Amino acid sequence: MLTFIGLGLYDERSITVEGREALRAADRAFAEFYTSHLVGASVADLEAYHGVDVEVRDRAGIERNPGPILDAAEDTDVAFLTAGDTMISTTHVDLRLRAEERDIETRLIHGVTAQSAASGLSGLQNYRFGKAVTLPFPYAHGGDDVPESVVDSVEANREHGLHTLVYLDIKADRGEYMTADVAAGMLADGWRDALAVAVARAGSPDPVVAADRLSALADRAFGDPLHLLVIPGDLHHVEADALRELGGAPEALLDAS
Amino acid sequence: MGRRKKIVQECERLMDEPENIRNIAIAAHVDHGKTTLTDNLLAGAGMISQDTAGQQLAMDTEEDEQERGITIDAANVSMTHEYEGNNHLINLIDTPGHVDFGGDVTRAMRAVDGALVVVDAVEGAMPQTETVLRQALREGVKPTLFINKVDRLISELQEGPQEMQERLLSVIHDVNELIRGMTEEMETVEDWTVSVEGGTVGFGSALYKWGVSMPSMQRTGMDFGDIIELERADKRQELHERTPLSDVVLDMVCEHFPNPLDAQPRRIPRIWRGDDTSDIAESMRLVDEDGDVVLMVTDIGIDPHAGEIAAGRVFSGTLEKGQELYVSGTAGKNRVQSVGIYMGGEREEVEHVPAGNIAAVTGLKDAIAGSTVSSVEMTPFESIEHISEPVITKSVEAKNMDDLPKLIQTLQQVAKEDPTIQVEINEETGEHLISGQGELHLEVIGQRIERNQGIPIHTGEPIVVYREAPTGSSDTVEGVSPNRHNKFYISVEPLSEGIVEAIQHGEASMDMPELERREALQEAGMDKDPSQNVETIHGTNILIDDTKGIQHLNETMELVVEGLEEALDDGPLAAEPVQGALVRLHDARLHEDTIHRGPAQVIPAVREAVHRSLIDAEVRLLEPIQDVRIDVPSEHMGAASGEIQGRRGRVDDMYQEGDLMVIEGIAPVGEMIGFSSDIRSATEGRASWNTENAGFRIMADNLQREKIMEIRERKGMKLELPASIDYF
Ligand SMILES: Nc1nc2c(ncn2[C@@H]2O[C@H](COP(=O)(O)OP(=O)(O)O)[C@@H](O)[C@H]2O)c(=O)[nH]1
Ligand SMILES: [Mg+2]
Repeated sequence: MLTFIGLGLYDERSITVEGREALRAADRAFAEFYTSHLVGASVADLEAYHGVDVEVRDRAGIERNPGPILDAAEDTDVAFLTAGDTMISTTHVDLRLRAEERDIETRLIHGVTAQSAASGLSGLQNYRFGKAVTLPFPYAHGGDDVPESVVDSVEANREHGLHTLVYLDIKADRGEYMTADVAAGMLADGWRDALAVAVARAGSPDPVVAADRLSALADRAFGDPLHLLVIPGDLHHVEADALRELGGAPEALLDAS
Repeated sequence: MGRRKKIVQECERLMDEPENIRNIAIAAHVDHGKTTLTDNLLAGAGMISQDTAGQQLAMDTEEDEQERGITIDAANVSMTHEYEGNNHLINLIDTPGHVDFGGDVTRAMRAVDGALVVVDAVEGAMPQTETVLRQALREGVKPTLFINKVDRLISELQEGPQEMQERLLSVIHDVNELIRGMTEEMETVEDWTVSVEGGTVGFGSALYKWGVSMPSMQRTGMDFGDIIELERADKRQELHERTPLSDVVLDMVCEHFPNPLDAQPRRIPRIWRGDDTSDIAESMRLVDEDGDVVLMVTDIGIDPHAGEIAAGRVFSGTLEKGQELYVSGTAGKNRVQSVGIYMGGEREEVEHVPAGNIAAVTGLKDAIAGSTVSSVEMTPFESIEHISEPVITKSVEAKNMDDLPKLIQTLQQVAKEDPTIQVEINEETGEHLISGQGELHLEVIGQRIERNQGIPIHTGEPIVVYREAPTGSSDTVEGVSPNRHNKFYISVEPLSEGIVEAIQHGEASMDMPELERREALQEAGMDKDPSQNVETIHGTNILIDDTKGIQHLNETMELVVEGLEEALDDGPLAAEPVQGALVRLHDARLHEDTIHRGPAQVIPAVREAVHRSLIDAEVRLLEPIQDVRIDVPSEHMGAASGEIQGRRGRVDDMYQEGDLMVIEGIAPVGEMIGFSSDIRSATEGRASWNTENAGFRIMADNLQREKIMEIRERKGMKLELPASIDYF
């Protein structure tokens, strides 16, 4: 049995109760933290809190060489852990399909993901989000500073009045996390005066939500990672109220319909 | 004011008069007397003392050169010479004669407008005469001929006027055959053959410092009879005084070599591929000293005090201290710290160096031999074309751990100075690899590191560089990214020889405007469609983008190219470079989000697809081969030809030339290691021989597997080939 368990947003306690029980009952636990990780807990914290050994795998250990995980799941209970949810953004559906191909039973225990936090903390309604994008570090992709596909997606969402959730690049192995001010700076080249919402440390005890012009956000600091950015489309009046009250948005930008 | 100071001042004055400048090189087969002649010219021009000329070897600046008696680094000197009432500034670049240093020769030729071809009267035109002449003509450089060592015809061979004349005419005839053959297709060149009557041939003795030419005979009244008489009577000093070599040669230089104003309008279109309607093209053609600065770097040297010195030809503008200049192929600018000229091999700082001259510049820290340095961003000079690619590699290790950082620095320096050298630094093992043109080339570099830098080193056995090439066409192969969200569909087929050659000769490259590249490829035999979709050229391989309208592909292409380059640099058989492959990208499936089609996904997917296509196209191992020529007395002929045949070589021709037999053939470079001592003992030291790299050849199928495994073992790779390699 292979159980995919989302660890949630912040630390060893962000997991659901169902997830916790499944993790503690597992014979072995594997995890990957190369695309995201828990800012508030180390692997040792996880192990101590749940009383399990966690075997951390790098990208190659999941994508190229998943054999050992699948072998173990053939005849024991194996938990596979990631931060957030195991199937959102970096999807591990491929691993699940490989397991199914080998007739290994699989199960999914959801975790809270950034998508839900961004919507929840900002007050922007989840119905009104369009395509999400990731803003990569310029060195990490083949294009210009902001990839054309990112620009295209944001434009298309705005045209339809939809919000864009902008995931910010994480290079966990290098300890690099793109911050919202840096991202805002990159995007301000195209949309200087556009309203945007920075969300920092979603799921932690001290999350920050700040709504302002991209060019203004670029000059602020939002503290420790992880950060997200949302570029709102047309605002519903309740969304406008939320951004004013919860994110301190300047009145001039809240042109609600 | 000192004498030297005066000469510098005179040079500075002449630098501003392009009509009185000649930029020249001396090109010769090894030992035909280039260095001796150069010293003579310098002495004649008053740059070094008369007494020591011929012994001083001013241009052989490196200790190891003086020891070996061959010239290795192209060094630069300037001198003045009065001709027909005008003083002239002659900038001379010395070029190495040994074929192992071919890259230096080509680079030197780019900086000059005239080449004085020196041929030994006794030996006649030799293979390297042909090589250097070809390099000169390809760069649009005009030749004249000096036949050296004529004293030997008189004193040693005891030839009379008739025999001597015949021999000299036959040398002239041979050289002209070469020139005619090579210039036939050059539209911009009128008749460049040389002749005695035309004054473009001189004769003489660099050792005894006398020379003659048709104009000099008319001037001095000395004819061959007088010369034979004086030479026979051992009155060489008198001969020198009555008809000094340097006057004859330098007069010929001033009269027959073009000045920059004549040469640049013809040469610029030949050696520069940029937009010929641009301002910079105009100002290079006109040698405009007020135009934008353009310096073509031909050589990087090291000065113990000033550090790195870039030498090269100023084609436009005026170089001055403090200028901020672009260096091709690098970002940002370098600041000129000083500019200078060469005086008898030493550098003299001057205020400025205008267009048309050879300059020595410090401060260009990003420049390498071959860089284009300019005050505006511009199309670089044609990537400098190397007649031979590196064929042999050695490992280099510091004997003392403490020398490690210094060795790395030195190796990087070596690669910068000599682009025909490739260096691979391995900081983990400390065992670095250095690749070059031949055994001697690497030996010399190794000795320089030990002697000049004082770093004791171990060098490994020479290792031959192999190639891998497709021999058929593959099906379309799918490459899947590790996360399985991206797929690439790729096929491989061999490029035609014509296209490979066009790339090797720099006629088609990514440096040139797209339209020109397209035309060049079509001319070389590529169909119209693929020629319009060339995405990149890597080595002698081409990537064609055959896809249509795939979303996000444009921002992924850079990674596709990276994956392709990795796959081609380390081929599927033995991780040797791939050559002559036409790679087509037919289709691609990409993930929506950039993060999931990043380098970690795209590069391995493409690499795998390229390797599997190559295998499907029956990729095979190629080995470098050399043309071999041996001159040997007939009694040793059997032993000498056995030395070729015993090395998996082939003898193509054997014929008599004078009292010697000439054996011509080819042999693999790998088998030629150690040839020099073997041939010596096989022929009691009576053979003289010459090799030239002649490209790569597919190895016989029955040798493939063994050689591949040998290389894999050496590299610590798996000793197992994919099962799909079942075709040899
Ligand atoms: N007899 C004779 N020997 C010469 C003459 N010129 C050069 N040599 C000798 O030929 C050898 C090679 O000369 P060098 O200038 O080093 O040749 P390079 O290899 O072309 O630079 C030296 O031993 C010279 O002394 C000449 O005119 N006559
Ligand atoms: Mg020499």
